[in-house]
Amino acid sequence: MNALANPEVGKYLNENFCSAYQKVGTFKVVGNNKQGGNVAAYFCAPDGRVLHVVAGPVGAPQLLNEAKWVVESTKKAIEEAKDDGGKFKTAFRKLHSERLRTEHGLVVQPVTFDPPDPQDKDSALTYNDPSGAAIAPKLPPPPIDGPDVKFREKQDSAAKSMGASAIKDKRGRGWVLGNQGRVHMLLAAHSMNKIETVYGTVFENILGEKISTKPVEVTKPFSWVNDGKIKRAEAQSSEKK
Amino acid sequence: MRSLSYIAAAGLWLAPFMGAYADEPVKGSKEPAVKKPAVRPAPKPKQEAHTCSGDYGTDVLFEDTPSDAAAQAKKDKKLVFVLHISGHFEDPKLT
Repeated sequence: MNALANPEVGKYLNENFCSAYQKVGTFKVVGNNKQGGNVAAYFCAPDGRVLHVVAGPVGAPQLLNEAKWVVESTKKAIEEAKDDGGKFKTAFRKLHSERLRTEHGLVVQPVTFDPPDPQDKDSALTYNDPSGAAIAPKLPPPPIDGPDVKFREKQDSAAKSMGASAIKDKRGRGWVLGNQGRVHMLLAAHSMNKIETVYGTVFENILGEKISTKPVEVTKPFSWVNDGKIKRAEAQSSEKK
Repeated sequence: MRSLSYIAAAGLWLAPFMGAYADEPVKGSKEPAVKKPAVRPAPKPKQEAHTCSGDYGTDVLFEDTPSDAAAQAKKDKKLVFVLHISGHFEDPKLT
C-alpha cells in the first residue's frame, strides 16, 4: 500500500474521489511470509459504473497518473456527450481503445452497443450467491484486430510489463499484453458497466486470483512454537518466574 | 652562497617529513599537540518522517462501505474509488 501512503496520491484521491475498499479474495500466511493476494482499484461513477481499473499493485506515480487520466477523461467525455449517457459511454470506450493502441500497440474496435442481458436473475436456472446476488459473469473482451505498426515498439516492451502473457488476435497471431493492456481491452467493450459485472473478470481472468470470502489462511498460527514445542529458553525463563 | 643553497636544499628535502609528526607531541614538552579537527562531511538535511493522514496506514480517507462512498460522491459531485483486495486491509503488514 505504498502508493496510497504517498501524500500526493492521497491528496488527489481525497479531493476528487470518495473511497472505499472491499475484500473479495484471500491469501495464505506461511510462517512469516504471505502467499498470494492481489489488489484492483476501480474508478467509478457515483452510480457504480466502472470508468477505469488499475489491476495489480502499482507505484504511486502510475496510480496518480491513472487517477488524473480518469478525471480529465470524464470531463472531456461529459463535454462531448452533453448529458447523453449513451454518447458518454461510447466516448469512454473509445478512449480505452485509443489507449490500448497508443500504449500497447494493439487495435480493438470499441463496442458502442450493448445487447440486452439474457441472464434472468429470478430464473430457476440462474445461480445466485448466498446473499442473493447473481455471480459475476465472464465478460468476453473485444477481439484484437491486429497491431498498429506506428506503435510497434510498444508491443516489444509489453513483454516486460506486469502480468505480461500471450494473447491471440482474431487471425490467430500471437501478441503480448500486460495487466493494464488487458484492462483497456476489456473496458473498450465493457466500460460503464456496473462494478459487480466487471470485478469477476478483472480479479479472476486478468489477475488470476480466486474470488473468495474465506478469512486469511494461516498455515502456522503459532509461529513462535518450534515444531509444537515451546522454545527451551522461554520455558526456563517462565519456570524461574 | 653554496652553504646557503645546501641548507635550503636540506630544508626542502626535510619539509615533507615535518607534516607527518606535526600532531605528535614533542617528548618532554608540556604543551599538548595541536590536533587538526577531522573534516566531516556536510550533514544531510533531515527528512521529516511522513505520517499518514488517512486510514489504515494510507493517506486516503475511506468510507465504511462502497455504498456510503457512492452516496457521499453524489453529494460532493466526486467520483468513486473502490479498492478490491484479497487480504487483510486493516493490517498494513498483510496488504
